[in-house]
Amino acid sequence: MTVAPEKNTRKSERAERAARPGRPGRGRGVLVALGYFFIPLAVLVVLWQIATTVAPSPFFPPPVDIAENLVKLLFGGDAVFTEVFYNDFLATVGRMLAGYAIGAAWGIVVGTAMGLSQGSRETVTPIVEFLRSIPATATLPLFIILLGGGDDMRIIFIAYGVSWFVLINTASGVGSIHRTMLDLGKVFKISPARRLFSIVLPAASPKIFAGLRIASTAALLLAIVSEFILASNGIGFQLIQAQGRFQLLNMWSWMLALAILGLLINFVLDAVENRVLSWHKLSRQKI
Amino acid sequence: MTDSLPTTSAGAPTQGAAPTRPAGTAPGTPGAAVVVDHVSHTYGRGDTAHHAIHDLNFEVMPKECVSIVGPSGAGKTTLLRTLAGLLQPSEGAVWVNGKKNTGVPDGMAMVFQDYSRSLLPWLSVERNVAFPIAGSSLSKPERKALVDESLEAVGLKGFEKRYPWQLSGGMQQRVAIARALAYRPKLMLMDEPFASVDAQTREGLEDLVLSIRDRYDMTILFVTHDIDESVYLANRVLVLSRPPATLVEDIRVELAEPRDQITTREDPAFIHLRGHVARLIHSGGEPV
Repeated sequence: MTVAPEKNTRKSERAERAARPGRPGRGRGVLVALGYFFIPLAVLVVLWQIATTVAPSPFFPPPVDIAENLVKLLFGGDAVFTEVFYNDFLATVGRMLAGYAIGAAWGIVVGTAMGLSQGSRETVTPIVEFLRSIPATATLPLFIILLGGGDDMRIIFIAYGVSWFVLINTASGVGSIHRTMLDLGKVFKISPARRLFSIVLPAASPKIFAGLRIASTAALLLAIVSEFILASNGIGFQLIQAQGRFQLLNMWSWMLALAILGLLINFVLDAVENRVLSWHKLSRQKI
Repeated sequence: MTDSLPTTSAGAPTQGAAPTRPAGTAPGTPGAAVVVDHVSHTYGRGDTAHHAIHDLNFEVMPKECVSIVGPSGAGKTTLLRTLAGLLQPSEGAVWVNGKKNTGVPDGMAMVFQDYSRSLLPWLSVERNVAFPIAGSSLSKPERKALVDESLEAVGLKGFEKRYPWQLSGGMQQRVAIARALAYRPKLMLMDEPFASVDAQTREGLEDLVLSIRDRYDMTILFVTHDIDESVYLANRVLVLSRPPATLVEDIRVELAEPRDQITTREDPAFIHLRGHVARLIHSGGEPV
């Protein structure tokens, strides 16, 4: 008897907290998460630093040197940022984002069309399965022949490789929406556009997001690979240059830049997902 | 082709309708809210065909609360989807408010069995209730007033900002009912709405249906497999047979109003009726 009201208040408190997604108790959670993330990393860096001091090797420069070199590569000079920052770092980021945006949009549009109609799904699925089995990186030579060695080729190549992840996930997310939810739109005479944007896409959004997540990793990978051949700038280009000139420190610095870039993208996606999909996380916690 | 069919058949309520009514006008009694005219439906074809309903004929007058009951798998859902215009019957036609169903009829709302799928989990309670009327020509304050009034009618005032998944199953179904009410339907279809809530919650929801039946000016069609519920809620009970479902009996329910979970269920007339319906269902549509 005495347990029940207590349980109730706890339940309502939790509901209260859930109603305003992620406000109270957030600071501590973030700190703990940061701790879990940075402590093992710090240990690795320290061990590496010690190892390279004890036994120096030209192939494995000390982490402090790598970081210092990266800062020197990107920042400083006459302005805040160096020319390399604009010419190479930002160039790669720009290509990646452009390709990612185009590929994601294409994937969502085609995936939704596939998900909505069983007929088109059945017709297109074998083609999709076949094409996406070709590793995207293997199609780069073809893209170069068809589109040349410019930025547009790189962006389209990234978009192509990225689109599959979004397309497959969107098609599966849209295709698995429960019939009742679709009937709801019809019964209340909701306009087709509103049905698409207010029922279908939100209902499929958890799966679409999962696709966008994998696609973001692929976008960075494809951007770098596309800069290995026929490029005159970009992080990929700089890596190949460093390799050719045996500048191992530069190579390591660019790899560090990519790691930071990858983490940053993940962080942004996390933030967007927490905002857009809080209902999904919270409703699942409930079950 | 269904328009030219004779609208009379043995025992059907459409008896007496003029056989040569003008094209495009509803068969049956003028002013009927719903006319089901020789409706049959078969899923698939060939060996795997499933004949779900066969030559159903009945009509529902405005403000009636009619329950449709039958053995499980009797095609109740098929019938309801046909009434809702979500399914075109293989034969025959459904007329709602004098218009033949070619799609979803105007002024119709539906409460689905599966509340967890019919409520949108990314919208708060109030936005779920406002969802069907959000695209209408009503002004914002008018919409707000409809939402508030509907939530009040189902006893969920104060839960506007909650999300469906923060509520119990019974409360979620109340939200679904409020959403239907805010739409101000002339016809409300309910598809086994209380099949997945516990017995006590169910009684509360049944009484909610009785209260909105009296409060709002609408016709209610209620599909259930619960015999007691079919009698308790309705002015009329339509008993379906096993598939292919035909209409076994159209029973008028005249019980004392207001109905009450305890006294109505003790009423000898109630006990007699529920026994009668149960016998019809258990015999699967054979004469008793």
